[in-house]
Amino acid sequence: MKEIREKIEQLLLKTQKPARYIGGEHGSIVKDKSKVDVRFAFCFPDIYDVGMSHLGMKILYGLKNAVPNYWCERAFMPEKDFEALMRENDIPLYALESLDPVRDFDFIGFTLQYELSFTNVLEMLDLAGLPVYARDRKDLTPIVVGGGPCVCNPEPIAPFFDLFILGEGEDVNLELMRLYEKMKPLSPTKEEFLREAAKIEGIYVPQFYDVEYNEDGTVSSITPNVPEAKPKVTKRVIADFDHAYYPDSFVVPFTSIVHDRVVVEVLRGCIRGCRFCQAGFIYRPFREKSIATIAGETKSLCEQTGYEEVSLSSLSTSDHTRITELLTSLSDYTDKENINLSLPSLRIDTMSKEIIDRIAAVRKSGLTFAPEAGTQRLRDVINKNITEDEIMRTCKLAFAEGYQTVKLYFMLGLPDETDEDIAGIAELAQKVVDLYYQTPKEQRGKSIQVSVSASTFVPKPFTPFEFEPQATPEQIKHKQGFLLDNIKSKKIRISYHQMNVSVLEGILARGDRRIADAIYCAWRKGCTLDSWDEHFRFDLWQEAFAECGTDTAFYANRKRKYDEIMPWSHLDYMISREFLIRENKKAHEAKTTRNCSEGCSGCGVKKECGGVYCG
Amino acid sequence: MAEMLLPKNQALRITRYEYRLVFEKKGRARYISHLDLMRAFQRVFKRAGIPLWYTQGFNPHAYLMFPLALSLGIDSSVEPLDIALTEELSFDEVRDRINWQMPEGLRIVSVGKPVMKHTEISSAEYELRLRTDLTPDETADAFRSFVSQDKIEVEKRTKKKGINLVDIKPHIELLSCEAADAETVLMLRLPAGSEFNLNTNVVLDAFEAYFKGRINSVYTTRTKIIAKNGESFT
Repeated sequence: MKEIREKIEQLLLKTQKPARYIGGEHGSIVKDKSKVDVRFAFCFPDIYDVGMSHLGMKILYGLKNAVPNYWCERAFMPEKDFEALMRENDIPLYALESLDPVRDFDFIGFTLQYELSFTNVLEMLDLAGLPVYARDRKDLTPIVVGGGPCVCNPEPIAPFFDLFILGEGEDVNLELMRLYEKMKPLSPTKEEFLREAAKIEGIYVPQFYDVEYNEDGTVSSITPNVPEAKPKVTKRVIADFDHAYYPDSFVVPFTSIVHDRVVVEVLRGCIRGCRFCQAGFIYRPFREKSIATIAGETKSLCEQTGYEEVSLSSLSTSDHTRITELLTSLSDYTDKENINLSLPSLRIDTMSKEIIDRIAAVRKSGLTFAPEAGTQRLRDVINKNITEDEIMRTCKLAFAEGYQTVKLYFMLGLPDETDEDIAGIAELAQKVVDLYYQTPKEQRGKSIQVSVSASTFVPKPFTPFEFEPQATPEQIKHKQGFLLDNIKSKKIRISYHQMNVSVLEGILARGDRRIADAIYCAWRKGCTLDSWDEHFRFDLWQEAFAECGTDTAFYANRKRKYDEIMPWSHLDYMISREFLIRENKKAHEAKTTRNCSEGCSGCGVKKECGGVYCG
Repeated sequence: MAEMLLPKNQALRITRYEYRLVFEKKGRARYISHLDLMRAFQRVFKRAGIPLWYTQGFNPHAYLMFPLALSLGIDSSVEPLDIALTEELSFDEVRDRINWQMPEGLRIVSVGKPVMKHTEISSAEYELRLRTDLTPDETADAFRSFVSQDKIEVEKRTKKKGINLVDIKPHIELLSCEAADAETVLMLRLPAGSEFNLNTNVVLDAFEAYFKGRINSVYTTRTKIIAKNGESFT
């Protein structure tokens, strides 16, 4: 579209980091339109810098473009300055490869990574020139699709989407596109297409379900209203993860982005079962790639991108069954090529001296630990099976190697938390500082900085805490103040997440279809880019909830009964309700549950899903 | 651990072979900022397997040197980039290996040995294509009278004194000024290099303040970089 390109080019010089809005990066894929049958606009509902760092997009972009007659392009949320310029100059949301308007595509797919990106979805649909409510989009195309972790409860945004994809997208995305390719020549109506799509495992079409409510506001029933819609939609899992599609090329941005490096996924799922962690449950079972696969992907991506840093991605890299061998094999290659190997997501209880040496050889950066709670009792409640001794043992090793910064992540407002647990956070941080001073001077670094980050706990669906009330804003305020009062050392720095962000996240995470109108209303009032502190307008959100009559405490601060029908009860993430109830009861008794490698706890995931420790 | 503390790259002991590349920056690549361009080239060299010579020290980095920065949004096919390699490669091989890995809009035009020093750069020539809400002839006339003023003062921010007024009139050399179809085409020569540099945007901003009409679009190309001896630098 020559016209859009000319318009954009005149505006780019008036905006910050214009390279974000024009594409043309190394590795971006441009196809001949006349030879393409299905066009997919992969939309990331946040700005380029964030979206380009997202691994899922890289995988699905490569996967779809590997099919010669499918073309997947990228689109991102513009920053406010460029968004204003786009609106002033009638530039619709366009895809970065062709610069064509996304409204002309066959599919528009959003990845829903966090609740605070919901308003960005509405903004991008509107910028595209499309009605935001699915019911107002009568034509077959574009078909608006959603995927990603928030789809485990997509109800608050269900009215804006034509369909959702549950679970891992590698196979199901292509199945959906093939169905469309087959049906397109028959010019089906949107409903005809969606009915066929609903038959595909893992595809959820929200308009095919009627939701009824009890007088107290809870859900009374969720019923399919067409024969094609299954009573329960089950998420998709790639059983043979070692042979799953992985891209051999990445798009390499010009501007610096959040994670500007090669990323190789080493394992999927998590064995740990920390009770607050949604990712730990919805991505089950634990599967891993072989060392040969990981090494091959690392080499080909480093060669294709020219990056000088590679990062291993997973929920807990040190849980790879052959982690030491893996790191040895990888660093033989990266050392030779002058490439940095970075290892986020290491658990301290499995960190051996050998691993610490491996990281230290690259760069003596800081150590980051997530004890999450300040006392052993509360760590048992949340099943974060780390002891204080283990934290101290690792810090001791690290200080002797010259490490100077330690970051400790905690959550406030966990179930059954008392003031004693909060004081425990301060005590633990103090012990780390003391440990540094006990390290011989000739070994330790010049100074010590312990950063304590205290976020607010948000109960999430498909976790044992999905029944729990979130702490009220007043309780959170007290907890934050109490923690601050207990910090004595200048070597300890405290940072909080903005409380209201967590409050909103809590409402949206466990919301039902009735809050869609409040999201719409907040967006109309100007709420977008909510996850950015400088753009977050909680006052407008409060207005929206008030106008729509939403009882926010009903969603955020209410304890659910074990037999309550949740808004997401018709979605099956393979984690059984019985397991979640069992885990919830054990939490309140401060009893831990063994991890998958120690023995199966019967979460409900079937062994056919390929889990290393299943069956 | 002692051996780990040595600089990772030992290439500093190796002979360096210097090259001056001349590259083109066009189309979508116009919007790559100077800092990003540096990074983009480093990745291109890495992908192309170009054996870059690394600087000495504890944080070794590849030797890449742009003698003259190009402002964001300006086209050029005369941009110099100096590099040093640890192996001697033929000019053609350097060019071809790099071009094979270049993103859209960036291309090596020629490769040679650096002849002149960076400090020899004295000026640069630009072609500016303007579209305004007046006719091209009217715009051309306006620009001619703009440059024939006695003084053209612009504000310049300094660290100490805040805002200073600087007369840029003596530095602007108008080589030609013509109406062509719907556009006005200006050829300008402006000082460039490490001693004194005048950006086309500064001239345009001053013109816009003087001009009665409205500038709708500008398309700028750097056409030549000139050395003190009057020859082309690249």
